[in-house]
Amino acid sequence: MGNKQTTFTEEQLEAYQDCTYFTRKEILSLHGRYRELAPHLVPLDYTNNPDIKVPMALIVTMPELKENPFRDRIVETFSEDGQGNMSFNDFVDMFSALCEMAPRELKTIYAFKIYDFNRDNFICKEDLQKTLNKLTKGELTPEEVTLVCDKAIEEADLDADNKLSFSDFENMISKAPDFLSNFHVRI
Amino acid sequence: FSKGSETNQIRTLAQDTERDKRFFSNSSFGTYNALLPTGLAQKIHRLTEEQILIKELVALSTTEQIRKIRALPVSFEEKKHVRTQAMAFKSSGQSHHFSSLRDFSQNMSLLIRRFGYSIKSVSQSLQLWRGIMKEIGGKFGSSVLNYFVLLKWLLLFNIFSFLVNFGFITIPLLVSDLSPNVSPNVSFRGLELLTGAGYFNYTVMYYGSYSNETFRGLVDYDMQLAYFFTISVYMVLCGLVLIFSMASSFKKNYALADSASNSAWQLLCSWDFSITNEKAVNQRKNNLRIQLKESLSEKAHRERQTTSEQLKQYGIYFGSWLLSTGLAVGCGASIFYLCQYENEVRKTINYPKFRQEAETLLVPFVVSLMNMVIPLFFSLFNKFEQYSSQRKQIYALLFRNVLLRISILGVLCYYWMNTVPQKFTCWEPVVGQALYRLVIVDFIFLMLGSLFGEFLSNVIGTKIQPRLGVPEFDVARNVLEIIYAQTLAWIGIYFSPLLPVIQILKFFILFYLKKVSLTHNCQPPRRSGRAAQMKTIFIFLLFIPFFVGALSIVAYTAWSLTPSEHCGPFRGLNNTFSVTGEWIDDVNKLSSTQWVVWIYQNVIKSEIFYFLITLIILVLIYIFWQLIQGRKELIVLLRKQIVNEGNDKSFLLEKLQNLQKS
Repeated sequence: MGNKQTTFTEEQLEAYQDCTYFTRKEILSLHGRYRELAPHLVPLDYTNNPDIKVPMALIVTMPELKENPFRDRIVETFSEDGQGNMSFNDFVDMFSALCEMAPRELKTIYAFKIYDFNRDNFICKEDLQKTLNKLTKGELTPEEVTLVCDKAIEEADLDADNKLSFSDFENMISKAPDFLSNFHVRI
Repeated sequence: FSKGSETNQIRTLAQDTERDKRFFSNSSFGTYNALLPTGLAQKIHRLTEEQILIKELVALSTTEQIRKIRALPVSFEEKKHVRTQAMAFKSSGQSHHFSSLRDFSQNMSLLIRRFGYSIKSVSQSLQLWRGIMKEIGGKFGSSVLNYFVLLKWLLLFNIFSFLVNFGFITIPLLVSDLSPNVSPNVSFRGLELLTGAGYFNYTVMYYGSYSNETFRGLVDYDMQLAYFFTISVYMVLCGLVLIFSMASSFKKNYALADSASNSAWQLLCSWDFSITNEKAVNQRKNNLRIQLKESLSEKAHRERQTTSEQLKQYGIYFGSWLLSTGLAVGCGASIFYLCQYENEVRKTINYPKFRQEAETLLVPFVVSLMNMVIPLFFSLFNKFEQYSSQRKQIYALLFRNVLLRISILGVLCYYWMNTVPQKFTCWEPVVGQALYRLVIVDFIFLMLGSLFGEFLSNVIGTKIQPRLGVPEFDVARNVLEIIYAQTLAWIGIYFSPLLPVIQILKFFILFYLKKVSLTHNCQPPRRSGRAAQMKTIFIFLLFIPFFVGALSIVAYTAWSLTPSEHCGPFRGLNNTFSVTGEWIDDVNKLSSTQWVVWIYQNVIKSEIFYFLITLIILVLIYIFWQLIQGRKELIVLLRKQIVNEGNDKSFLLEKLQNLQKS
């Protein structure tokens, strides 16, 4: 629309707009935020798709993620290498999945991946315990932690295998109307 | 309806579809994957899945394609790859037939998409208060943010109303010769801002200044039709917007909240990811810990209440409901008598005009005072009663508050519809002025309420009585206040077309006031409540009692009451609605527009049409209801099936292990 920018080519911007829930302006401002994290590392010119990854330690300093108890898991889930080092594409993808317009199914899949700490495609008791510890600053006694996790599995596990598969998780989410508005990071 | 989606999900649960497994490369693929090295197996599986996906995408339209691509749970590079493949497939597959036509349609759709994106960009840059909302959401969470979102939404309603009214009704009047002029012995005194009478009475603010002429110019502009159709089209549009947003909110948010899954919900769904403030996060963690401890200890003593305790509980419920209803009805009655008393005083005693005008402020003052003080009693009753769940408590409180406001508004409208037309020759502006006064005094009281409710509570809570603590932002009470304010505006549009201007100013100032009060005086809410369900309830409240009430008042005025004889656009007619009758007669004279007349006479005026429509809708409702019952039973059966399959699986695994051992 007449804005002269040299960060991306038009094809790149169109690809971003078609594959994420962001508009052109938001993508450019996201690039600005990404660059802020590591100005010496991230070039201004992205037209030739440089292969730059910002390490996790810098990404979790963003104000939107800094206080989130799950920031490490979120960044790991959306990074391609699984270690938390994000390229700009991963960065955009992360905020696109967490934005307001992402559909419930997409958010459910990523929420499951985030809560699955050991990446075995099941939320087992250890995953729930780690989640609980992150949510309560570790101030519950171990017995209470076990009790809560047992209760949670008992409530949500439908096929009685003592861990939550994706289908169990999806079923529980479908009964929680708040999930869409809770699983939402504003950028 | 949410039941359908739940059935579908249970079905996929029972059948274990490949769609869920595809993007997880689950290890339980069976023997096929166990034979090949895992990396290769996954790669092959992924490639074939990709081919299937691209074939699916090519068959869809472009918008559907984009929607599907965006919702793929894979990394960005893969999405881009799928997109390029799909685009390449589409363009190559159509090279033979009608290539130029296809090219043209593809280019058109591309242009339209680009245009849509640029429109979205522009509308985003115009978005009001985006930064502030982000800050509030980050510190206080979604439930408090709902209030501000609703405030902004209502502000947009008013802006639209102002544009429509000003453009179609006021501007034609102003540019014509019949624009109202102020009589020379009336000057502007400061009191008009509060009472709306006096100087304002002669301006375009009120119904009385509008003429009923048809302006001959470039186009024949009939003021009567313009006034009638602008107001009715605006109300109908409002109604449609409310219905659609209520329906979509119901669909998204009002899923069955299974109270049995409380612990799992708290653990996995209740954390608000948008909170960015450190103190708020710590507080939420504390609250969650307290809630978990509470629910753990609740299991320990879930005692049954003895009969005498139950009787006592019911007695308390009955007593407080009786008291609340009595209070609400009493307020309504007292307002009625106050109005009558004011009328009597005006007739008999001859006070100077200034004092007479100032006395008209008495009724709005008393109304707003009641609206501010009585809910405090309701909260007090609420503290004594103990409802089984927090949700029921909030609903009971909301219901009582709504009852109070509806009864007061109802009494006022009754007075305006019945007594005012007989007592005044030009009665519509009188009603308009009364509404103006209500709106202004309500605004003043809202500001005062913010001062007392939040600022003073904060001072008391921190300095004087630290046990009370910093107050929380009472979302329900504030939302009800703005819904009530908007109802006043909706009733008033017919009598005072420029009332939305006041409302716009009011909401604009209120936004900033509440934001400052919130950040300085309040703490984030302690209970991570079900914000999405509350949002649905608020929209429902906005629509059913308040909007429908306002619409029926305006409709009653237009249908049954005689417009005043000497002022306003409908002077001389029997009722406002007969404007359409006259218009149809005019249209009938032209032969080219006979179809309009036919529609009017056979569709809008005929009773059989409405009867048939009602019958059809009732039949459809009954069919859907039966469908829901059937699906409920299906869900129960499928759930049992899942449990059985789980048991079968574990039994077979055991047997396998035993066989392996031996």
